[in-house]
Amino acid sequence: MNTIIIDGLSFALPLFIMAIGGIYCERSGITNLAIEGLQGFGAFCGALFAVCIAQYFAGNSPVPFYLAMLFAFLGGMLFSLLHAMLCIKFKANQVISGVVINILAMALTEFLTKQINASIFGAASNKFVLGVSARITVPGLSRIPVLGAVFTNLYPFEIVIALIAVIAWYILYKTRFGLHLRACGDNPHAVDAAGIEVSRVRLIAVMASGALSGLGGICFAYSISANFSSNIYSGYGYLAIAALIFGNWKIMPTLGACLLFGFARSGGYELVKVLEMPSSYQDLVMVLPYVLTLLMLIFFSKKNHSPKALGEIYDKGAR
Amino acid sequence: MTDTMKNKNNFLHKLVLQTIGHEKRQHYMIPVFTILLSLLFGILVIALLGKNPLQAYYNLLQGSGLAPKASYAGHKGMITDFTSFLNALTPMLFAALAVLIALKAGLFNIGVSGQMLAAGFTATILIGYSDLPAVIAKPLVILIGFVIGALAGASVGYLKHRFNINEVVSTIMFNYIFQNVVSFLINTFYVDPVSRQSKNVGQAGRLTLVDVVIGDYKMDIPLGILVAVIGIAVTAFVMNRTTLGFEIKAVGSSIRAAEYAGIQVGRTRVLAMMLSGGFAGLAGVTYYLGYFASIQPKVLVSTGYDAIAVALLGNSSPIGIIFSSFLITVISKGSTYMSSTSGVQAEIASAITGIILLFSACGAYVRYKVNRWKDDRNN
Repeated sequence: MNTIIIDGLSFALPLFIMAIGGIYCERSGITNLAIEGLQGFGAFCGALFAVCIAQYFAGNSPVPFYLAMLFAFLGGMLFSLLHAMLCIKFKANQVISGVVINILAMALTEFLTKQINASIFGAASNKFVLGVSARITVPGLSRIPVLGAVFTNLYPFEIVIALIAVIAWYILYKTRFGLHLRACGDNPHAVDAAGIEVSRVRLIAVMASGALSGLGGICFAYSISANFSSNIYSGYGYLAIAALIFGNWKIMPTLGACLLFGFARSGGYELVKVLEMPSSYQDLVMVLPYVLTLLMLIFFSKKNHSPKALGEIYDKGAR
Repeated sequence: MTDTMKNKNNFLHKLVLQTIGHEKRQHYMIPVFTILLSLLFGILVIALLGKNPLQAYYNLLQGSGLAPKASYAGHKGMITDFTSFLNALTPMLFAALAVLIALKAGLFNIGVSGQMLAAGFTATILIGYSDLPAVIAKPLVILIGFVIGALAGASVGYLKHRFNINEVVSTIMFNYIFQNVVSFLINTFYVDPVSRQSKNVGQAGRLTLVDVVIGDYKMDIPLGILVAVIGIAVTAFVMNRTTLGFEIKAVGSSIRAAEYAGIQVGRTRVLAMMLSGGFAGLAGVTYYLGYFASIQPKVLVSTGYDAIAVALLGNSSPIGIIFSSFLITVISKGSTYMSSTSGVQAEIASAITGIILLFSACGAYVRYKVNRWKDDRNN
């Protein structure tokens, strides 16, 4: 039971932070299918930086990890500018732009990882080895029955994510900027009439999405895979999109969806272990979150309302 | 702005207008521009890496059998490289058709890779491992490929129509489901313990004739390319000359207008996705039972994603995708030879494809901008 909660949380929270980014982006009216690519590129930047500075720190020092998080944040933000440019400035189809960015991110990071490994580190390798981040257990709280597992064997990034999530929630729902952002997604003309620049709000929303996606990406690189390689593109970004869709583009229900994915996944793995099935059955378990997504979408899609102006190119002159 | 800058700007405008300003020529001039820009970008990157870009590009052609290599192994030559290139081109043509038909209906089929896998795997276990004679097995493989792909595609269309589920999300979910389920089935029942892939299919069911001796050469002859050419012709005919094609295009341009015109939007979308999936299925069988003879578990091929680039670059026209799939396949097929002779990482091929895709996404903007300039000039 405890492992299910511990592993489930460490999968759900990075997913959640990406989904929050997606909510920001889509509530501002920009469709974001690029999360997958953004998280990969962010993780690449963070991992590259961590590998470069690793020699200046002791093996167990947590500093490279935190710096990697910072750089993943910045890297994701940088790459999201491409999405912003295509969608806002070049008025490209937002779905196409998202797909393009995913493909480009995958190709670029794979190429750069190999090239940098070969020319700087002199090794023929297609990954940056990072290791798994240290874990912490909160004394006292972890003794609580059942719920205590939440505070046991935490990755430090889970605390960071929780903090950022609270801030993101506050900004989106309780500040003037958050109001503008949500209005941009429903009625950009009204926002424009109120004297606020729609494209500026949307630019910030896309950048926030890129930054948070990058953060989520590096968390996966430091936990599940323990390295950066093309394995990072195993659909986390798309799961985040699915989570935010049946979270109805709201932050709290999205958290529920992410937790469901996380626990379905860790519960399935635990089941394979308990029943002592051969490891190839893990592939079947991996299907669980995706099947769940489809089922949930079948039940909830009708009731869900996407932001009204989502995916529409904002044209000041249109009436 | 200083005078010289203004002059320069004017000159640039003129140059751009002369080359891609002509509206009739725009539909192929803009993609050509896109490709040239991307290739230039590639040259820049390769040069920065300290390698000779022209040499690298020439290697791409050599690897695809379009230019002679310095030396060949026994029974190999430019012609064998070229038939092997056609072998790789076949699934790409089908996959691009799949993306194209969905695009025409305003839908995005990101699931081509997954549909390929589902169709290829089903055909492998039903026909590939059977003892049927070649005359029956080969048509059956094609039929099964189309049907399984069409079913997978139609279910995506149905989910969109009935439950309003975004096709991008559902195709991606299906991709992962197919990938993991097929991987599980292969590892449990059909694995070849040496190669860690699925066991090879028999020659009877394979859509590529392997090691055919012609003259002094031993070459692979892809039969699927004939089907692909027929597929392109049929698609062009359906799209331009039939009611179904008209309805698909109407739904793709404006759902509301199509509804007012009395077109059943839901039905048309499901049909379009079914056709799209069917072609993806054909891409799958020509890939897994043609170009290759086995399936690697846990891997989705990149063909389905590259096909998006091919379809966009080919201006979503059936004839256009012949040229664009040719180009993209040259880049991807030739990259292995390029990396072994020039020492440029093979991954640059997909990076260049990505850049091509990026530039073609801006195509609509370029057209809009150029036409604005032209209006300014005329006033």
